[in-house]
Amino acid sequence: MSADASGLRELRASVGEFMAAKSPEEAVRKLMESEPRFDPDVWSQAADQLRLPALAIPEEYGGDGFGPVELGVVLEEMGRALFCSPFFSTVVLAAQALLASGDSEACARHLPGIAAGRTMATLAVAEEGGSWDPALISTRAVADADGGWKLSGRKGFVIDGTTADLILVVARTVAGPSFFAVDRAAPGVTAEAMETLDATRTLARLTFDAVPATPVGPDGAGGRIMAKVLDVASVGLAAEQAGGARRCLEMSVEHARTRHQFGRPIGSFQAVKHKCADMLVQVELAEASAREAALLAAGDAPDFPVAAAVAHACCSRAYMVAAMENIQVHGGIGFTWEHPAHLYFRRAKSSQLLFGGPAIYHERLLDRLGI
Amino acid sequence: MEQDTQDFAAEARSFLDAHATKAPDRAARTWGQGDDSMAYFSSLPPEQEAEQVRRAREWQRIRYENGFGWITGPPEYGGRGLTPVHDLVYDAIESEYDVPDTGVLGVVGLGMIGPTILAHAQPHIKERWLPAMYRGDAIACQLFSEPDAGSDLASVTTRAVREGEEWVLSGQKVWTSVAQHSDVGLALTRTDPEAPKHRGITAFLVPMDAPGVEVRPLRQMTGGADFNEVFLTDVRVPDDHRLGEIDGGWTVALTTLMNERDTVGSEGAGPVAAALSPDHLSALMRATWTWDDRALRARLGELLVDVLATGHLNARAQRSLRAGVAPGPERSVAKLMYGQNLTRAAHFVGDCLGPRLIADTGQWGTYAWSELLLATPALRILGGTEEIMKNILAERVLGLPKEARA
Repeated sequence: MSADASGLRELRASVGEFMAAKSPEEAVRKLMESEPRFDPDVWSQAADQLRLPALAIPEEYGGDGFGPVELGVVLEEMGRALFCSPFFSTVVLAAQALLASGDSEACARHLPGIAAGRTMATLAVAEEGGSWDPALISTRAVADADGGWKLSGRKGFVIDGTTADLILVVARTVAGPSFFAVDRAAPGVTAEAMETLDATRTLARLTFDAVPATPVGPDGAGGRIMAKVLDVASVGLAAEQAGGARRCLEMSVEHARTRHQFGRPIGSFQAVKHKCADMLVQVELAEASAREAALLAAGDAPDFPVAAAVAHACCSRAYMVAAMENIQVHGGIGFTWEHPAHLYFRRAKSSQLLFGGPAIYHERLLDRLGI
Repeated sequence: MEQDTQDFAAEARSFLDAHATKAPDRAARTWGQGDDSMAYFSSLPPEQEAEQVRRAREWQRIRYENGFGWITGPPEYGGRGLTPVHDLVYDAIESEYDVPDTGVLGVVGLGMIGPTILAHAQPHIKERWLPAMYRGDAIACQLFSEPDAGSDLASVTTRAVREGEEWVLSGQKVWTSVAQHSDVGLALTRTDPEAPKHRGITAFLVPMDAPGVEVRPLRQMTGGADFNEVFLTDVRVPDDHRLGEIDGGWTVALTTLMNERDTVGSEGAGPVAAALSPDHLSALMRATWTWDDRALRARLGELLVDVLATGHLNARAQRSLRAGVAPGPERSVAKLMYGQNLTRAAHFVGDCLGPRLIADTGQWGTYAWSELLLATPALRILGGTEEIMKNILAERVLGLPKEARA
C-alpha cells in the first residue's frame, strides 16, 4: 500500500503536530536525563492514536502495510523534533531485520507485538569496534544437545539495548554470520548503558553468557540479511538526518532574520546570507537523496542499494554541516547548554558515525557502483 | 485540446526514427575509444563552426516542420500549444538519438529570448520574429551585460534616446554568446539616467544587421571565443521593437533571467557527461594506476555522492513539473551543484593524471581533460555568479532581508 501526495501531506502534518505537542524541547531535555530515555505514555499514544509502529509493517503481521516512503515522512518529523523513543531501534532496525530474514514464523511471532507498540526491540550487530562488517563478528552461537542454541559474546552500540524486550543478535555459527532472537530477560544477558555523545539516543553494551537463542532466517544467511538491513536502516536514518538538518536551517534563518547587530538584521550581511544558502543547498540535496532512496526501496528498484549508499553519505554530511553552521549563525548563544543547537550537533555527529562513518560509507558506495 | 503524452511520445519516436539515428550512450563509452574531447566551450575553427551552425539551423527547421520545434508555444505564433511535460518527454526521447547540437539557437534564443518576446512584444513583432526563431531562421542573443554591469545588470549605461518613431542606441555590451551568428539581439538600455536605476531601463529588439552594430569576438581563458563584445554606435531601432513600457525594461529583463536560470545547468548530456560518469571515472583510475589509492578513492566517493544526489534533485524537480507542481529551489541548487561537481571532477581527474594534465603525451583521455579544467572557473560565473545565486536562494527562498542597495 502507498499513500498519494495528499496522504503523505496529511501524515506529515499529523506526525508533526504530535511531535510539537509531545516532543517539545523541554520534553527532550527532561527525557535525556531520565531512565528510560523515553516516555512510555507518549510511546503508547504514538502506537494507539497514530499507529506509528504499525505503519510500515505488512498487514499480515498486524501492521498497516505502508512502505519506506511513508516511514521516511515519519522519520523526518521525528528527526526534526529529536523525538526520544524506541521507534528507530524497534521499527527501523528490528522489524526490518525480521522482514529481511524471510523467516515468516519469526515475523508472525514478533511483528504483531511491535506493530501494536507493546514489544520494544533492537538489533545487535556491532561489537567493540563498532563495525557492521560480518567478518569482524566474534559473538558465537552453538547448537546444544537438545536442538536449541546458546549464544555467547559481547555487543556494543546497541540502540535502546537496556530497554528492548527483544534483541536480534548477529552471531557466528559454523555456517557463518547468522541471526538470532534473544529475550532480554533470558538468563545470561547483561545490559549496561554506554555514555553517549548524543544524549537523546541511548546505546548499550550487551554481554551474552550462554544465552538461549532462537535462530531467525537461514543459518549462515546473516551477512546477506545485514547488508539489506543496513540499506533500509541507513535510508531511515537519512530521513531522520534530513529532518534534523531542515530544522537547523530553520533555526538559523529565524535567528538571522530577527537578530540585529551593527544596526541591521545579521541575515542582511552577505557572509551570513551565504552560510544560510549553503545550508539550504545541503538540506535540499539531503531531502532529495533520502526521499528518492525511499521511493526506489518502495519500488524494489535495482538502483536502490546505490541510492541507499548515496542517501546515507549525503544526509550524514548535510546534517553535520547544518548543525555546525547553525551554531556559527547563532554566535555565542549557540554554544550554550541552554540553546538546543548542541542537541542537534550531537545527534548529527552521532548519526554520521553510527554505521561506521564516511571512510566506510564512501567505500560502500564505490563498491555498489562496481568501482 | 491536450494530447495524451503516450501518443505524443510515440509520435516523437516515429519522427526521430525517420530523421535521425540512435546515439551510443556517452557516459558508458569505452575507455580509449572514440573522441576524447572534454570541451565545455567550443573552440572550433571558423569554417567548422559555420558548418555546425548550418546543421543546427537545419535540424531546428526539420523539428519545427514536424511539430517538435516549439512544443509549448501558442499556435497563433507557430507553436504546438502543448505543456512543459510534453517538452520534457520530447527532450528525453531525443537524447537517445544522435542529432545535431542546437545549442547555438536554443540556449539563449529559444530558451531565454523567445519566452521574453512572447511575454512582452507587440503582436506583429511576435509574428515577425517568433516563427523565424523557432524555425531556425533567426538566431537571437542577449545584449545585457556591460563592462561595468555584469552581475549588477541594473547598472547598464548603454543609452537609448528617442527621435520621433525611432530610438538611437549607443554603448557597449559584453559576454554576448552567439552574437556572431545572431540575427536579432535583446538589449537593455538606459532611457532615464535620473530615475532610480531599476526604473530608467528600456528593452529593445535590435536587428543585428542594423548599421552601427559591431560584433568583436572575445577570446576566453579556454583559448576559444564563445563570447563577444558588441558595440552599438548610433544604432536606429523603430519604437515598435521596444519590449514593454518605456523605463519599464527591468520587468522584461526579469523574464529573461528567470528563463536563464532554467536553461543553464540543465545541460546534463554533452561532451562533458563523461566527467560525472561513475563508470568513466573508475576506468580513468584504472588507466592511471591510481585504482588502489585510498585518498583518491575517498574523494571519488565524496564526489559521486554529490553527483548522484544532484541527479536525484533533478529527477524530483522533473517529476514535480510532470505532476503539475511548480518546482521549488531545486533548479537553482542543481545549477550551483553542477558547476561545483564539474569543478571537483576536473581537479580529481587532474590528481589522478598528475603531469599528464599539464603536458600532452599523446595518450588518449589524459591531456584532453585540461579543456574541462579551463572551463570550470566559468561555470561558477555564467548565468549568475555563485554569489548572486546564493543571494537569490537566501532572499527569495529563505526570506532573509535584502542587503541595502544603492
